[in-house]
Amino acid sequence: MRPSRLLEIKNLCLGFPGRKGTYTEVLKHLDISVRPGELLGIIGNSGSGKSMTALAVTGLLPREAIITEGEILFDGEDLLKMKPRSRRALLGNDIGIVFQEPRTALDPLMRVGRNLEEILTVHGVKDKEERRSKIISMLSRVNFDDPEDIYDRFPHQLSGGQRQRILIAGAALLSPKLLICDEVTSALDTVTTVEVLDLLRSLCIEMKITILFISHDLSAVENFCDRVMVMNDGHIIDCDNTYDILHTPRNEFTAQLLENAKLNPHSLNLVTADCDYSASPVMTGRSLSVGYGKKTIISSMDVDIFPREILGLIGCSGCGKTTLAKAICGLLPYQGEINIKGGRPGTVFQDPVSCLNPSHTVLWHMKEALRASGRSKDKASDMELIDKVLVEVGLESRPLNRYPNELSGGQRQRVAIGMCLIAEPELIVADEPFSSLDATSAAEILKLLAKINRERGVAILLISHNLHIIRALCKRVIIMNRGSESETGMTSEILKSPSSIAGKALLEAERKLHGM
Amino acid sequence: MRGKNNSTIRYFLVRLIELLITLLLVSFMTFAAFSIIPGDAASVILGPDATPAQVENLRQELGLDKPLYVQYFSWLLGAFTGNLGKSAAFGVSVSELIAQRLPVTLGMSVIALIMVVVISYPTALISARRPGRLADQICSVLGHVLFAIPPFVLSLVMILLTSSLFGLVTVGRYTKPSENFFSFVGCLLLPSFCIALPKIAMTFKFLRSTMIEQNASDHVRTAKSHGLSDLMIEFRHVLPNSNVSAITVISLVLSDILGGSLIVEQVFNLPGLGRLLLTGIARRDFPLLSGMILYLALITVLLYFLADILTAIADPRIRIK
Repeated sequence: MRPSRLLEIKNLCLGFPGRKGTYTEVLKHLDISVRPGELLGIIGNSGSGKSMTALAVTGLLPREAIITEGEILFDGEDLLKMKPRSRRALLGNDIGIVFQEPRTALDPLMRVGRNLEEILTVHGVKDKEERRSKIISMLSRVNFDDPEDIYDRFPHQLSGGQRQRILIAGAALLSPKLLICDEVTSALDTVTTVEVLDLLRSLCIEMKITILFISHDLSAVENFCDRVMVMNDGHIIDCDNTYDILHTPRNEFTAQLLENAKLNPHSLNLVTADCDYSASPVMTGRSLSVGYGKKTIISSMDVDIFPREILGLIGCSGCGKTTLAKAICGLLPYQGEINIKGGRPGTVFQDPVSCLNPSHTVLWHMKEALRASGRSKDKASDMELIDKVLVEVGLESRPLNRYPNELSGGQRQRVAIGMCLIAEPELIVADEPFSSLDATSAAEILKLLAKINRERGVAILLISHNLHIIRALCKRVIIMNRGSESETGMTSEILKSPSSIAGKALLEAERKLHGM
Repeated sequence: MRGKNNSTIRYFLVRLIELLITLLLVSFMTFAAFSIIPGDAASVILGPDATPAQVENLRQELGLDKPLYVQYFSWLLGAFTGNLGKSAAFGVSVSELIAQRLPVTLGMSVIALIMVVVISYPTALISARRPGRLADQICSVLGHVLFAIPPFVLSLVMILLTSSLFGLVTVGRYTKPSENFFSFVGCLLLPSFCIALPKIAMTFKFLRSTMIEQNASDHVRTAKSHGLSDLMIEFRHVLPNSNVSAITVISLVLSDILGGSLIVEQVFNLPGLGRLLLTGIARRDFPLLSGMILYLALITVLLYFLADILTAIADPRIRIK
């Protein structure tokens, strides 16, 4: 008789020995049971032990890890009591796993076909032709139009989404009973995420693969999983069907997790400056072409940014948004024409950690920005100006002598914005300024940008993949696709009924992922 | 498919042209340097007692009275056809001298290279498999020690150990390869080992850190999740990926050995290129020295070229854009 549980983790304790005999417990009496055929999601903060669970089941734990007690039953058999050899025989055969970062997960020296072939070789498919035909049919199963061509490609010739599909194809090649997906969509953009989720769902249904879906992306979990477990501090604290967990959480921690993940820009009541589209633009770009070496990223784009407006720039990853932003800021050579009023635009980037110099204080950064802008006068008036700007960006505590690592992500982003403002630019280019922040800090920065736009009348070019934010903040939006403009117009029209294929794809992906 | 081939061929052609330009530059700078240094071949050949008239005669004979660019081009032309001029100290042609000494250096290089590869790869694999464990610690400490010992100390210790204590080899004896190839190889084994040891330590250190990096890489984790054993992963993924960067390091090591070892050849009394270079410097033998410099440059540049090509063959990311 088949056991009613495909995978059952019972009372699992796992930890790492530290220095001087200390011991850090990562999993604490963990209990998980997975029913055959289901799509089970595990959510939780980073560091809650989600990934360690996946590694424990697959036996890929770091060598230092120690399992002190508990058992992992797979199909009724305890994996922890198995010999390494028989455990390896299960991997790839009965248990598959796909990880987060697809860009580095394939051997760069091997063609896709050879990368996948080793799974079959190891698990005893001796006939070469059989191996090839199996791989080709699996590649078309994961929606490659030309599997023969993909078979002969090297990983670096493929996009992130394509590589993730290849990794899924590899994990599903021998139709395993269990497929563990550890943050598989975290490195992918919205459109690709939806593609991958659709693919996984169809594999689950058609090949009867049970999927354990580990993610911190709640909207992916919501639209994908049947059942969700909430993990915190090494054990499961809540478990129910997806709808109940995400809509009527009973557990206090779950409610908190949902609250933190929720960023609803519409509820913030953002007020932006009124923009006059008949005025002359603060920034005009004409027939811009940008490339790295011989590779052209952007070809002949025209961009206008009007005074006091917040212009949105969206498109799937790799379409050239960041390249365009860099060209506008003068950080990349370009062909064509860029005219900007009021000198160099201010810049705010995605990752405030690497944008600040770790060995200098906030004061140094502000002084540096002031000096670069050429507005520095005498010491007293400089300090006064810095003080004023810090208050304006919401750093009332004036953390002048703090170092970047002593600040939170939100505070660092405020410092970066302060460094822009001190130069009094007429245009600020903000490239995904929220994406590395948690929902609460993102909302704060969102309010700050709206305030700066309203009170200073600064124009902002905002790059984001979050359409909610674009809707709430930008009156006008540009949709980019493959290095050129697909569509430009008022947000209210374009994001309701886009006419370009790229625009439709973005909206469709958002609808599927966020269920709007 | 044709596009791929074209870009590959173009890559090789560009490297080849770079190689030629480098060689030309080296030849020009060598010639210029020796023209600036006071004293010339004629006075070296005739010695301090020669009369100015004698020197002037020989200068005309050797073509040293002609304008510098004429001298340079005739020397360059000769170099291309293998004629590097006549050694002032030995009285024979420089190419012949180098050709005589090359077997020793070449033999030692090949033996040393084999030792480097055969010893450093397996030890690095073992070390990298469980970094920080006993095997790794032993290998790493040994590596540090060997890397730090100066070659002459090592040579002397080796001689002491092998000849005096065990009476295994006779030091100072040299058999030409044409006489008895096996005893030629035999008398090169110990000196090659002395040359190879620090290089083994260096290559080991490099390979170890590359392999540890590879072992922790995402694609190795993928391979593990596919059910491959440690050994299979090492041979299919870790080794080929480590080779991409190891090729350059090993070519550096090889070019270093091929230049001849001044100290080891001196200690073991072997007629190799290192000792030839030493003699050339001591006797201010300009034609010999400029010929040697050209030879060293050629070897270095050729090995770099080879390393570039091998890397491109090993790594499709370079070969196929």
